[in-house]
Amino acid sequence: MFTEPELAEPWEPWVRAAALHHFIAANGAWLWPIFQILHYFGLTLLLGTVGLFDLRVLGVGKVVPPATLHKLIPFGIGGFVLNLLTGIWFFFGFPEQYFYNPSFQLLLAFVGIAGVNVAVFYVSDAFHEVKLMPGGADAPLRAKLIAGTSLSARVAALVCGRLITFYRPPFFH
Amino acid sequence: MTLRHSDLPWLSGAIIAGGVVGPVLLLVGLTRTDAATASLLLTLEGVATVLMAWFLFHENFDRRVVLGMACLLAGVAVLSWSGQPTLSDPLFYVRMLLVALAIYLVVKIRTEVLRMPQGDKPAAKTAIWRRAKILAGLSLACWMGVITAGRFLAYTHTWLRVGLPAGF
Repeated sequence: MFTEPELAEPWEPWVRAAALHHFIAANGAWLWPIFQILHYFGLTLLLGTVGLFDLRVLGVGKVVPPATLHKLIPFGIGGFVLNLLTGIWFFFGFPEQYFYNPSFQLLLAFVGIAGVNVAVFYVSDAFHEVKLMPGGADAPLRAKLIAGTSLSARVAALVCGRLITFYRPPFFH
Repeated sequence: MTLRHSDLPWLSGAIIAGGVVGPVLLLVGLTRTDAATASLLLTLEGVATVLMAWFLFHENFDRRVVLGMACLLAGVAVLSWSGQPTLSDPLFYVRMLLVALAIYLVVKIRTEVLRMPQGDKPAAKTAIWRRAKILAGLSLACWMGVITAGRFLAYTHTWLRVGLPAGF
C-alpha cells in the first residue's frame, strides 16, 4: 500500500521551507489539539447544516420548507472554510503523512465530488425548484439525487478523515 | 389483535432481520470473538432490545425496566473489570456530564417550549421565545464542550500516562 518515493516530490521541500511548517514544528505540541478541535467544530457545522438541508430534500421532516433550512447554509460554508484552513495547517505540519496516505487521497476525492455536486445544484434549476417548495412538499427526483450524493460524499469524507490516522505511511522525509 | 395486510412489510422485516440475518451474523461473530467477550456482548442484547423498543417502537418504559437494565449493565461492568485502572481520565467524566446536561436541555426544550401552548398574548410568546433561546444557547455550548472534551481525550490519555510533550 505504501511505496516510499526515492526522491521527495518537488513540492515537499517548498512546504518544509515555509514559515508555517517551522511554526507548527515549534508550537504544534499545544496548538495541534486546538486546531483538531476547531476542525471538528467545522465538521459539525457542515454536517449539521448542509446535512440537515440534504435530509429535508430527501424527504425527512417535510413540514419544514427547504428555504427555511437553507438559511443555515452560511454556517455550513463557515464550517467548510474552518475545515479548509485547519486542514492546510495539518498538511503543512506533516505533509508526507497526508499526501501519501490513501485515506487522505480518498477524502480529497470525496470533497471534490461534493464540490462538483454543489455546483450542479446551484447552476442547474434544482436549487430554484427546491427553494420554492412549501412545507409538506416532496422534492423532485433530480434534487433528491443531488442531496443524496451530497450527504453520501460528506459522510464518506468524514469517514476517510477519521481513518487518516490508521493509514499513515510508515516513512518520514 | 389480528394481522393486517399492512403489517406484512414489518413482519417480513422482523423475520429476515431477527430470524435469518441476525443468527447468521451471530454465528459469524462467534467464530471471530473469544468466549468471554461474546458472552458479555450477548448480555447487552437485552439492554439494546429495551432501548430500541423504547425509542423506535415507543413501548412502555418503567422503573422495573430501568432496574433490569441497571442490573445487566452492572453485571457487565463487574465481569469486564480488568483489574487495571480504567476510566481514570477526569476529562471523560466532564464529557459525560456535558452529554447528560445536553440531553436534559433537549428534554427541557421539548417539554417547556415545543409542547407549550403559546397563547395569544404577545408578552407570553416573547417570554417563551426568550427561554427557548437561552435553552438552545446552553445546548449548543454543551455540545461544543462535548466535542472539545472528546477531542482532547486523545491527548490527555497520553499526557496523563507519560506527561506533557516537549514544547509545552
